[in-house]
Amino acid sequence: MKEFNIVLAGVGGQGTLLAAEALGTAAVKDDLNVRVGEIHGMAQRGGAVISTVRIGQDVLASTVLEGRADILLGFEPIETLRSLKCASEGTFVIMSTERVPPVELATRKATYPSIEEIVEKIRRFTNNIILVDTERLAREAGSSLTRNVVLLGVAAGSGRLPVTKDSLLEAVRELVPSKHLEVNLRAFELGFDSLSRKRGK
Amino acid sequence: MPDLRVLLQDSPKKRMLLLGNEAIARGILEAGISVVTTYPGTPASEIGDSISEIATEAKLYMEYSVNEMVAVQVAAGAANCGVRALAAMKHVGLNVAADFVMTLAYTGVRGGCVIVTADDPECYSSQNEQDNRYYALLSNLPCLEPSDPQEAKDMTVSAVEISEKLELPVLLRTTTRVSHTRGPVTYGTMIKPNLHGKFVRDLKRLNMVPAFSRPKHTVLLRRVAEAKGISETSPFNKVVSNGGEVGIISSSSAYNYAVEAVDLLDLDAGILKLGMTHPLPEKKIIAFLKNYRKVFVVEELEPFMEMQVKAIAKDFVSYVEVYGKMAKEFFPREGELSTRLVATGLAKATGRKWSVSLSAIEAKYADVAKDLPSRPPILCAGCPHRASFYTIRKVCGDNALYPTDIGCYALGISPPLNVGDIMICMGASVGTAQGISRVTGKDTVAIIGDSTFFHAAIPGLVNAVYNNSKIVVAILDNQSTAMTGHQPHPGTGLTGLGGASEKVLVEKVAEGCGVKYVRVVNPFETKTVAAVLREAVKQSGPSVIVFRSPCALMDLREKRRAGVEAVPARISDKCTDCMTCIKLLACPAIIVEEGKPKIDENVCTGCGLCISVCPYKAIEGSCAE
Repeated sequence: MKEFNIVLAGVGGQGTLLAAEALGTAAVKDDLNVRVGEIHGMAQRGGAVISTVRIGQDVLASTVLEGRADILLGFEPIETLRSLKCASEGTFVIMSTERVPPVELATRKATYPSIEEIVEKIRRFTNNIILVDTERLAREAGSSLTRNVVLLGVAAGSGRLPVTKDSLLEAVRELVPSKHLEVNLRAFELGFDSLSRKRGK
Repeated sequence: MPDLRVLLQDSPKKRMLLLGNEAIARGILEAGISVVTTYPGTPASEIGDSISEIATEAKLYMEYSVNEMVAVQVAAGAANCGVRALAAMKHVGLNVAADFVMTLAYTGVRGGCVIVTADDPECYSSQNEQDNRYYALLSNLPCLEPSDPQEAKDMTVSAVEISEKLELPVLLRTTTRVSHTRGPVTYGTMIKPNLHGKFVRDLKRLNMVPAFSRPKHTVLLRRVAEAKGISETSPFNKVVSNGGEVGIISSSSAYNYAVEAVDLLDLDAGILKLGMTHPLPEKKIIAFLKNYRKVFVVEELEPFMEMQVKAIAKDFVSYVEVYGKMAKEFFPREGELSTRLVATGLAKATGRKWSVSLSAIEAKYADVAKDLPSRPPILCAGCPHRASFYTIRKVCGDNALYPTDIGCYALGISPPLNVGDIMICMGASVGTAQGISRVTGKDTVAIIGDSTFFHAAIPGLVNAVYNNSKIVVAILDNQSTAMTGHQPHPGTGLTGLGGASEKVLVEKVAEGCGVKYVRVVNPFETKTVAAVLREAVKQSGPSVIVFRSPCALMDLREKRRAGVEAVPARISDKCTDCMTCIKLLACPAIIVEEGKPKIDENVCTGCGLCISVCPYKAIEGSCAE
């Protein structure tokens, strides 16, 4: 079965749901078959959340089998690690470096692991790792609330998504409330261009 | 989906990405359903919420009912006047409605009547994993089971047709994976809602006194036989592949896993997909069974179809062996299924090897995951429940007992708040508290939310007054049905149509029930709350304390809209790193950096609770006391 799987891992409130819905909406616009899996309710109260997007003609289930993610979109480093079960050597990990420290760390008086430690763990699964300073790019776009759209832009800019940039942008236009649209479109473009800017340096 | 008005587009053949629950909402519009009722509950909430957004424009009536039984009663009342109606709820909601539904099956309906039950395998946001298809068997009502959003829409329309044909309500059973999966949905044509009903008096049909009930039972059984005929010809019950090696019978989300597992194992399997699972299409099943020596039934939760398929096999195709979850447990009966679990079961059953080894990934993953800090759902920063729990625990202590209830405040059971000793179902805190207090003699504080109080706790409170139970009922009133998505309820003064209504105040209800000691407090005024609690536990009968403060998420959203910025608390030089604030409150806005507590300004709402607990007065900002 031909399938393209995207796993979005983050913390409730980080906007993973919107990013997943945008990817699914773009797939429908591109006339592709798609399933988007979400977790609602209790799990959203600051807990770990995972959304999945599966694109492909014969795809039926919304969940992704172990090792089968093509892209792991990590909105938070610890949650990216928690989702590594879906990764293998072919997986591209695109991860925000924005940390949301779990309360357990504070109660254990433990420090959040360094990005180097986190990257080392990801490398046990795959060497394809892209780190994104979503906070900086989102502020540059005009609102730190656009971090999720920055990450979506980076995914699109990686050239690996089976959906077109136009469809994704159209999806963002439909899903983001109009008064926040401009800043979100800027965030998307900043994310989209960030990889080529990096390469250019 | 921010703008749900796309559901209203009268453009047949349009292809849209919809959540399973939104697809049911679209189905409501295509079926001409005119009355929609619900009590919110994950994973069913978005059905009612979507309709609530568009009801006025769609010209249909929608309400958040006080509980699921009332929701079905309102829907059935309308349906008995010939108006098409639908009531949506989570699986356990049907327990609340069951008393009514069992006999509604006898009276039947005139207009189409659909009861949506969203089951929750894996308990993603529920207290149990009951399989509500048994309600179909118990009540003799037809049951449809969609496997994806497209079917969720199509079956909503079909359920209305079946309901009107049989004059019976129809159950539409989803699971979390159907309700909360988005997929492409192709629109059909819409039917204009019709809210003008006519009640036709018919004593023998509608009054279920024994003399009239007996003949209606016969009528019901005749209708089940008729329903079986519908099931035999239903397009939702179909052979989707004709492989010769083994047969598979499947339904709902389990069907998706079965198809993908067959592909992974490269099995030559025949698959009978069932969408109408009560009554089962016996003849279709017999014809399918005859092609195989072994047939596997793949279904979520209980062996509901398996048991019946086994009975059919015994009577008609005795040489076929039927497996699933019963005699040989190839698939687990608990938790939700997955492609992996189904493939593992089918591999074991057929002796087929699975080419991919998942154990290598698992071993590598276990090593990475072993020191990861957990991130369970927690009370939000600024949540008034944290303040309530802090003071309740401080005043009533370790010796008191705390029956609790269904809602965000169930998160209070975790340390360090530790408030919550028994939690079973909606409204149960008030009832269980009375038994506990009666036989232990300990201070017993029942914890319950505002929406849950209206839903199921009022009879419990009347009982406490009547039988003079010495309990404290702490009603944590955050003016919202918060956990399920901030739906309005009788205490909010808002309706599902967005209009204003009479605010039913919990304290007035408590007084009306005869409670003598009723107080309303602001949970952030911890000293006042402590004084009231001390008084309440001394009462000789029941007492009620209403902890009133809006849900922090709602409050933040409203303040943001009004352009009011939250002023976060600050930690000054007086801080000794004693960590009392973290140990007592575990607020997500207080983090530790280099061994020192720090306020995360992006998260802090400035509620001030940490200011009142700091022993060194080292936290600055505004505080209610």
